[in-house]
Amino acid sequence: MSWKQTKDAPFFVGYLNAVPKQLVTFLLVFSVCFAGGLGIAALALSSTQNDPGNGGFQWGNRFENIGIMELRPYPVLRVAADAGNPARTYMLAGQGKRGVFNQVEKHENGFVAMRGVPVKRGDLTMIQVGRVEAAESEVTGFTPSEPIPLGRWKLTGEICDGKCYAGAMRPGQGLAHKACADLCLTGGIPPVFVSSGPVENRNFFLMADKDGNLLGDEIKPLLALFVELEGDVERLDDLMVFKVDLAKARVLR
Amino acid sequence: MSVQYTPVIWNRNKILYDAVLLIAVALYLYIYIRVAPGFEDVTKPLDGAILRMRAFGSCAFLMLTVILCIGPLARLDRRFLPLLYNRRHFGVMTAGIAAVHANYVLGWYYAFSPTDSYVALLSSNTSYGQILGFPFETLGIAALLILFVLAATSHDFWLSFLGAPIWKALHMFIYAAYAFVVLHVALGALQGTGDPIFTSVVAASVVLVSALHFATGRMEARRDRGDETAKASLQEKGWLVAGEIDEIDVDCAKVVTLADDERVAIFKYDGKLSAITNACAHQNGPLGEGKVLWGCITCPWHGYQYNLTDGRAPAPFTEKISTYRLQLIGSTILLDPKALPPGTHVDPVVIGEAA
Repeated sequence: MSWKQTKDAPFFVGYLNAVPKQLVTFLLVFSVCFAGGLGIAALALSSTQNDPGNGGFQWGNRFENIGIMELRPYPVLRVAADAGNPARTYMLAGQGKRGVFNQVEKHENGFVAMRGVPVKRGDLTMIQVGRVEAAESEVTGFTPSEPIPLGRWKLTGEICDGKCYAGAMRPGQGLAHKACADLCLTGGIPPVFVSSGPVENRNFFLMADKDGNLLGDEIKPLLALFVELEGDVERLDDLMVFKVDLAKARVLR
Repeated sequence: MSVQYTPVIWNRNKILYDAVLLIAVALYLYIYIRVAPGFEDVTKPLDGAILRMRAFGSCAFLMLTVILCIGPLARLDRRFLPLLYNRRHFGVMTAGIAAVHANYVLGWYYAFSPTDSYVALLSSNTSYGQILGFPFETLGIAALLILFVLAATSHDFWLSFLGAPIWKALHMFIYAAYAFVVLHVALGALQGTGDPIFTSVVAASVVLVSALHFATGRMEARRDRGDETAKASLQEKGWLVAGEIDEIDVDCAKVVTLADDERVAIFKYDGKLSAITNACAHQNGPLGEGKVLWGCITCPWHGYQYNLTDGRAPAPFTEKISTYRLQLIGSTILLDPKALPPGTHVDPVVIGEAA
């Protein structure tokens, strides 16, 4: 049927309730195809979404520990080895898109008792701090180890905010999440580099600038993109730290 | 048609139209949010807010695609005209669905922060100088604002208040909204890890919308060439040859295009001929593709009616359109290309008196 009006062609006038019979079948078929097409599209689009990973809040596994608070340069809690577990270093975040600088600065290099909820993805663990206070007693004989240098590395991957990538949001990476990551970093949550290749079997790195200081706004244009970064890698117990030279950063895609 | 403004003048066809629309949208959202996650191959489910954000966003995108296809489809095949009749409800619903998408984005990605979510929306990513990492949210905001304006001015009150040319020009911004949405998706969701199905759906939408508009444009150009009999034909004291009587079906029209691209519809009815402008006073609908019902020209888009001899809407309605004078020599129709002021009475040409 064409656009041209003819004497015998059905003519639809919306405010007349009677729809020409020839059009009823056509419109019924169209309606079914329209609704069915949307249903199939929903199934196809929703069921094939990318895996956001196994990260998430460990609500049933509350974190309660005593350790030493350090700034490297972001706040981390150093916990002594115990009962077959080696010494650990935990990254810390506050509630929502907030860091914990204000809560922990006064405890720097001191023993603290901390409560919180772990956000865990594989071997990346971030503690969402609930309460932190000076410990009533120290852990006898515990002296945190010095960082172990692992050499200079050129790594490719994505800069994320450590909390969302760990599972506070699923998915918590990619360009759609860029603005959220930006807000998290502005709020003081530590940036994490997720490498496409491992260093000593680890793909997650707490980031610092090449001198080990906090990263500033220069990191923002690189957020959530696939980038190549160069810098020194150190191991702090079970936590890898990547001291990046952002002047040499390259956006790959 | 109406002589007073009411929010919605419901009739059975509008109710059916909206019911089908609501059912289709509800089906889409239900399957996306409740059914399909059961078939996902994921380690842990996506956040509910992100799932709903994606469901409403993709639904709005698909609805906008369909809306933009209705126009050209109705031009190419008259059976699609009923979809055009209540398209404004389709548009308003799309704006609503897009607003829900935006609300989920604000309440999730821009929440839980010391920064106000609206401030964060505009300030958290300002990398306007780069393509990868471009603040694609801004494009979504621009599209949403256009959809809001179009939804708010979709009522006939605004059509009357602004006048058809301004209203029509304003509502052409739907294409800008679509372009913003495509860029919003292309620079945002499509930049993530490969999702071939979503990429294909977006590409198919762009190809479909573009191809239908291109095909319609070609058809219109071909029509104009075919209708140009009036342009290059024998001229007698300023009258143009518009065609033969046999070319027009009873109660239908032949459309001729004048030198200034103005189109005139010549109707044959009750053994008579009358000519009026082809553009309906309501939304510039193609009157020449309408029919004569109850002695009135009836627009194929929304059923607006006009008397054949003076171009005036029957009382109590007040719309009026330009009329033209005709002559008949034998079976050949001659048209005076000078439009008469809207509502001017012109005696119809009686076919039996010709020759």
